[in-house]
Amino acid sequence: MASTVIGAGITIEGEITTDEDVVVQGTVRGKLNAKDGVVVEQGGVVEADVTGGPLTVAGSVIGNISSTDRVDLQPGARVVGNVKATRITIADGAQFKGNVDMDV
Amino acid sequence: MATRNEVTLIGRGARVRGRITGSATLEILGLVDGEILVDGDLTVGDTGMVASDLSGRRVVVRGAVKGNVTGEESVHLEDGAKVVGDVRAPRIAISPGALVRGHVQTAGAGGAAARPRAAAKPGAAPAARPAAAKPAAAAPKPAAVPAARGSAPRGAVLAGISQTNLATSHMPPARKSPPPPIVPALKKGAKGALAKKR
Repeated sequence: MASTVIGAGITIEGEITTDEDVVVQGTVRGKLNAKDGVVVEQGGVVEADVTGGPLTVAGSVIGNISSTDRVDLQPGARVVGNVKATRITIADGAQFKGNVDMDV
Repeated sequence: MATRNEVTLIGRGARVRGRITGSATLEILGLVDGEILVDGDLTVGDTGMVASDLSGRRVVVRGAVKGNVTGEESVHLEDGAKVVGDVRAPRIAISPGALVRGHVQTAGAGGAAARPRAAAKPGAAPAARPAAAKPAAAAPKPAAVPAARGSAPRGAVLAGISQTNLATSHMPPARKSPPPPIVPALKKGAKGALAKKR
């Protein structure tokens, strides 16, 4: 039940700000600021700094991630950038390059 | 919600500043400040606001648009739509309750003849159109209700439509060449007006 969906085949170049959930199946370049959950689905490409609540990545994120909650990198995910979150999981098969800051 | 692939939704709490391009079906319930170019169907919902040009295959507007609306196939302006800008598509439907301020052009209505008019618009049209719209808005309600907002804009819409119909019916049906020169010129004007308003 996402309120904003960037479908496959859609490219947004610019800044997205929302206080609701975001699902990315397409491409986002620029900035992505969500107050709630962000899901980057398989095939989704985010070339942007991402801030938000719980973040799930099964696609590709190039940019820094900052979450007030948890970050889950699922198998097949590709993340290049620093991750700041209270909790982080990296599944077997996820590609990740960057620093992790877990706010200890 | 079943989120099918190829469907993009900008939720009502979302704000996008920048370009949206692609081939999917797009529905906008939030705020978009930037050009929208999609090959698929495009819907601006009743809570949607677009502050720039937009184009799609079949465009349905129920919200607010400040910019040119271009449909490859059709444009539907439904109840609640507020469009400030030119509307262009082979088929255009304007429902009662929709507000339009700008040039409206359907297919076969003299594309080439309309261009000079559109080009002259920044100077000529703003002077002519409010003048035409205001008497129309004032005439239907001489006695009653200055607060009846609905009737005034509707009068303005009708005036706008009859004006364009008049204009296009007098024009020779010469149809030629795409509109690129118009868009930048109008865009500047629209942007300027936008900036002034804020």
